[in-house]
Amino acid sequence: MYEGVSFVPLTWTDMLYLAPEFLLAAVFIVLVLLDLLLPKRITRQTIGWLTLAGIAASLLLVLLRMLDMNEGGVSSEAIRLLANSYRIDDFASLLKIVFLTGTGLIVLLALGSIRDDEAITDRAEYYYMLLPALIGAMMMTSSGNLVTLYIGLELLSLTSYVLVGMRRKSGLSAEAAFKYVVTGGISSAMILFGMSYLYGITGSVDLGSIAAALPDALVDFKALAYVGFFFMIAGFGIKIAAAPFHAWAPDVYQGAPTPISAFLAVIAKGAALAAVFRIFYSTLLMLQDENAIVSKDIWLALLVLAAAAMLVGATAALRQKNTKRLLALSGVANAGYMLVPIGISLSVVHSSNFSEFIYYLIAYLFMTIGAFAVVSTVSRSSGNEELKSFAGMYYRAPWTAAAMVVFVLSLSGLPVSGGFFGKLFILLGAANAKAYWLVGVIVLSSVISYYFYFGFVRQMFMRSGSEQGEIRVKAETGIVIWACAAATLALGLFPGPVMEWINAIFSLQSDLMINN
Amino acid sequence: MDKWTQTAWLIPLFPLTAFLILTALGRSYRRAGVIIGSLGSLGAFAYSLFILVDRLANSPLDYNKSFEWLAIGSYSLRIGFEITNLTSLMLSVVAFISFLVQLYSAGYMKNDERITVFYGYVSLFTFSMLGLVLSDNLLSLYIFWELVGVCSFLLIGFWFTLPKARAAAKKAFIVTRIGDVGLLLAILLLFWYMPEHALDFTTIQSVFDGQSGAITNGITTLIALLIFVGAIGKSGQFPLHVWLPDAMEGPTPISALIHAATMVAAGVFLIARTFDIFQDSAAAMETIAYVGGFTAIFAATVALAQNDLKRILAYSTVSQLGYMMMALGLGSLTGGIFHLITHAFFKALLFLGAGSVIHAVHTQNINEMGGLSSKMRVTTWTFAIGALALSGIPPFSGFWSKDVILAVAWDTNPLLFVIGLATAFITALYMSRLFILVFRGRPSAASAGANESPAVMTLPLIVLAVFAAASGFIETPWNGWFGKWLTDGPEEVHASGVAIVGSVAVGLLGLYIGWLVYGKKRLSLAARQEKKPWFVNMLERGWYIDELYIALFVKPLKLLSSMLLAFDTHVVGGVVRFAGAAVSTAGRTAARLQNGQAQTYGLAAIIGFVIIVVAIVGRRFLP
Repeated sequence: MYEGVSFVPLTWTDMLYLAPEFLLAAVFIVLVLLDLLLPKRITRQTIGWLTLAGIAASLLLVLLRMLDMNEGGVSSEAIRLLANSYRIDDFASLLKIVFLTGTGLIVLLALGSIRDDEAITDRAEYYYMLLPALIGAMMMTSSGNLVTLYIGLELLSLTSYVLVGMRRKSGLSAEAAFKYVVTGGISSAMILFGMSYLYGITGSVDLGSIAAALPDALVDFKALAYVGFFFMIAGFGIKIAAAPFHAWAPDVYQGAPTPISAFLAVIAKGAALAAVFRIFYSTLLMLQDENAIVSKDIWLALLVLAAAAMLVGATAALRQKNTKRLLALSGVANAGYMLVPIGISLSVVHSSNFSEFIYYLIAYLFMTIGAFAVVSTVSRSSGNEELKSFAGMYYRAPWTAAAMVVFVLSLSGLPVSGGFFGKLFILLGAANAKAYWLVGVIVLSSVISYYFYFGFVRQMFMRSGSEQGEIRVKAETGIVIWACAAATLALGLFPGPVMEWINAIFSLQSDLMINN
Repeated sequence: MDKWTQTAWLIPLFPLTAFLILTALGRSYRRAGVIIGSLGSLGAFAYSLFILVDRLANSPLDYNKSFEWLAIGSYSLRIGFEITNLTSLMLSVVAFISFLVQLYSAGYMKNDERITVFYGYVSLFTFSMLGLVLSDNLLSLYIFWELVGVCSFLLIGFWFTLPKARAAAKKAFIVTRIGDVGLLLAILLLFWYMPEHALDFTTIQSVFDGQSGAITNGITTLIALLIFVGAIGKSGQFPLHVWLPDAMEGPTPISALIHAATMVAAGVFLIARTFDIFQDSAAAMETIAYVGGFTAIFAATVALAQNDLKRILAYSTVSQLGYMMMALGLGSLTGGIFHLITHAFFKALLFLGAGSVIHAVHTQNINEMGGLSSKMRVTTWTFAIGALALSGIPPFSGFWSKDVILAVAWDTNPLLFVIGLATAFITALYMSRLFILVFRGRPSAASAGANESPAVMTLPLIVLAVFAAASGFIETPWNGWFGKWLTDGPEEVHASGVAIVGSVAVGLLGLYIGWLVYGKKRLSLAARQEKKPWFVNMLERGWYIDELYIALFVKPLKLLSSMLLAFDTHVVGGVVRFAGAAVSTAGRTAARLQNGQAQTYGLAAIIGFVIIVVAIVGRRFLP
């Protein structure tokens, strides 16, 4: 119990604001019961579709709420619940839309791929366990204090551990789950340790109060503040798989069911990045004069992390022959790109960090889930996940090969694709902020990454496969692949509208910063 | 403004859809390929016809619609389309000829294994050409400009198993690329100097037309000349004409569509579209006029000595494009575009006729043909109409359009008038030579078994013949309707009895001499002797321009390139190998971390954490 805030109960209006989260929770509970009560002979696919319906409904609620909030123009005030510990603002809503869309696609992908995965025994859990994880991710984007944020993080992490171990008959999956638990534990410990120092020197867990108290606290406890922030960086660094905290990612992605790998790559990573964005911007931006040194050091640490992730991710992937491990390392490099707009901080000449971040996140969502969908299809038909299984795909499944080309273009940041503009915006942002060394790193890592991304293209078009059979794509997976390809192309053809829309509704003051 | 005009952007989508469907279908659907491809251009033609009719009937204002494609900082890039009298006319002509050629190809390419691919390429070309015409700014025009270049490359090399076709495709691509660089430089210069970096034609027009002085005279001339370089490359003007005769290695319908009627006219269209820039620079105008005039007479003389049916027509195309350029250079937009339109009809007709002949006799050498007139009546009659139109004999279309150009030349530049007249004479001469050698005389061995082509091939011939015969009447010395409609009336109407009498006289004279030499064989010209004099050799080799280029550019370039190659393999390659090895070593190091041990991962995280903390924070606490 900390002072200054008395317990504020939830009102009915508050419940309405929380409807998207509550809805997911309700669907989750109903599905758990349903799974228990339904006789064995009824296929668990139904539960997958119900999960998808729940996600869609929740997405609708978030959208309605956001449209409602933005009717009054940019300066719409954030909705604060439970003594400002839960906030609904455009930052949170946009990210929730991203996560809900992503999870929706992943459920579809799971529906398309589950039948072939003999190792998964609890088919219903496979779907509905995604829901609490999703609620956790949504909490992380909305939280206004460290405790709520930590609860969201743990909700997400714990369910992810279970999901990774879902392929119960596979040793690889169990090993992956175990490793994920251990490194996740280290991460949680570091984050919590860092948070405790912040609470210790400022006397509050509320982000707004921390920001207010930090300037005074720094006078006496500068070293302790460093400890707090750096432990949080390291802890979140593990969660977002940024080098040198990324080593777990290839093993875990490889062992997990493919849709879950995609979930970790997109939603778990995105939620951790969002938490970094929210915590560090809320607490550090107000520091001035003497204290600005501290914030500068922390931004620098984030940028170093970003640079390390980009370079290590790209170079380590060069020698990777397993597609899922390769995509995991590509995710490491991409985490680096997304850390750039966060780490370059705000300046007079550059303040579009959030739109750069979220644009890339959206592009990343579609290209990564799309690539995972193709990987799941190909590995199913050839029985392994090696890069070689793509050989001769142009002849075996020309349309899927074409879609994969779109994803490869986007991942390597070539036009015409969402990844190109995402990377371009980030690059221009870094150049605007005069972080030229970072521009160099981005370009260098992109160039290196061409080599392994085009390994896919080389296999698909220039090698004739040993197996000649046509690759059959399940309808659900096909939908995912084509939705992702279409979205990737659309983001590459019409970057303007999306960017403008984000810029129009998002304002730093009311949507990100937490001040009392 | 009616709904057709407002939705004109749909026009290129017809052939594009056809292209996509054909690509998706694959090679096995041969019949569907023909039908879908033809329907694509038919749809585009019908649509553009509605727009043309609307503009003819109501002569509404120009319609322009664009949207912001990309905003970088304060600069916004807009793309869109524009319907003017010129573009609406070009749309109809392009789609019309494309449709006829596709119809014709159903017969001509019937036995080709890759006919579906062929139709796909033609559809893609039609899409690109329509997009080029519709573009409302130089940037998107440039994109389509390159796209038609690619299609041309693909189609010249369509029979890529023949080494000559491969070489010709490569040559066309490289030579036109030289011109394209000029155009690109012009666009960059315009982007640099235009107010607000605007590249759309409306703004270009208002900037240069208004004499606003926003751009100095020197720069204007430079821009105009660079645009002209682009046009030289695409339209096969001297000295970049060398690719066009070689491009005849492609299928004959393609020669008719791309290398006679539409794509090569894109250079003329480009100049017409940016005419305001040229009108601001007298020097540029003069350059165009003289280059055009020289190309006209130069190519006509070469055509006189060729023996390959298609190469004669190709040089004739170069020569006629020279006429158009000359007209534009003399300030007559009407003359240039009018000749472009009539030429599109009669040259497409001639090429398709030639295709019909080649289809029947399986050779392209005119000395091996003869006496086809009795065996191929439709081809003969329609070809005759095309030849008469090209020779400038009234009342066929070529006469009227050539007359406009000659009348302008008579009024403004006597030297070019003489050149134009001389070219008209030579044109009539080589056409009569061609016609007599191919169709008259005794049947040769090759033409003994010739039969008339199927209806699907002769029908387009007849349709085109009607247009080649009659389309000239839209602009006559006593009726300047077309010029008024096209240019909105400011252009002076030139009419000159001298030009009419002169051009009819030289045309008839040319035909007569040709008949004397090749028909009656009464005059024994040097060309018919056993030992050819040097100038016939020179003409046959096209004035040795190719040889000159090989000696001047190709050989020195090859020498330079082998030197550069050595530098590349040893110095640059060494650096690249080193960089590659360095990255790969880094990758190996990074991969070594992945040993599967979770405790190693944790340790790595802790070590990384400590390093970052010490490096960044440590310095703050040092004394």
